[in-house]
Amino acid sequence: MTLDPATAAILATVERLVIEVAGDEITLAGPLTLTTSFNADLELESIEFVALAEQLQAHYGAQVDFVGWISTKQLDEIIALTVGDLVTFIAART
Amino acid sequence: MSFTTANGVRLHTTALGAGPPVVMLHGLLIGSLASWYFTAAPALARTHAVQLYDLRGHGLSDRPVDGYDTATMAADLAALIGDRPERVDLVGHSYGALVALAFARAHPDRVRRLALVEAPLPPATFADEHGFLTAGPDHMIAALPPGLREAIAGGRRQAARLLATLRALAYETTLLADLRAEPDLDAAALAAVTAPTLCVYGDRSSCRPAGERLAAQLPDARLAILPGGHYLHLDAKDALTALLVDHLAEHGDG
Repeated sequence: MTLDPATAAILATVERLVIEVAGDEITLAGPLTLTTSFNADLELESIEFVALAEQLQAHYGAQVDFVGWISTKQLDEIIALTVGDLVTFIAART
Repeated sequence: MSFTTANGVRLHTTALGAGPPVVMLHGLLIGSLASWYFTAAPALARTHAVQLYDLRGHGLSDRPVDGYDTATMAADLAALIGDRPERVDLVGHSYGALVALAFARAHPDRVRRLALVEAPLPPATFADEHGFLTAGPDHMIAALPPGLREAIAGGRRQAARLLATLRALAYETTLLADLRAEPDLDAAALAAVTAPTLCVYGDRSSCRPAGERLAAQLPDARLAILPGGHYLHLDAKDALTALLVDHLAEHGDG
């Protein structure tokens, strides 16, 4: 699947920051794709997911209101989040 | 990511929202600031400056060998809050609620409102009943909430990391000994707390009698019971959030 350049750029940033908060062994199973699940596939700890959100906020600035986005979701939706969900959210606000 | 050195310990902190200040404290062992970040904190951040932090030994904060008693952890909180003119609201879950209570006893004039979610009394009760204090850390998994337990049983990375954290806290720090030595609080000790206090407990929680005692013995407290167990921020996220939002709303200065 070929991604448009803007989506590919966000995906690359997300992957870089995931590696930053969780270590590079996190991508041993392969590079991140839009269907990669943070919980089921990457098995990020919840505190690592917070750290990722903080790094995204620092990178993209206040217009990417991650906490506001999270506040609209139920816990099962948060647990089911994929890289693609996050990329779509960021793309709509940058 | 933000870090603040408080009371000699490097603590991971996250600030959300703007408005009157509220600090939220998580529970021991499996807790971190994520406990509130993914539950009640975002809603409170719509009207408050919410300060979250990882307690010493937890999340991304440093893991010192000792100082896991509520007095030392309340001193961490005091250093984190610092000198500021306005009073703060405190929300704590489980042992984090006991730390908030210790702070409110030591500094009654610095706390505006207090919310204690599933604070266990006597402090070691919860850990005792679940075998945390007598079993090795491998058995701590059995004391986790069912959803988390299943996720860990089927997992690899998360299970390994959680077990590493539990082992480190149990074997490389004084946490369990500190918890065992933590004194109970009687009515005289609780009389120092002047802040209006909301006590929230789960109808299926073994900690519920502590809530009834706190509500009766704190000078200005009320008890709310929600459907759920000890991990009430997960079991009754929306109902708990609504109670906290209401309790911390500006009802005058009281």
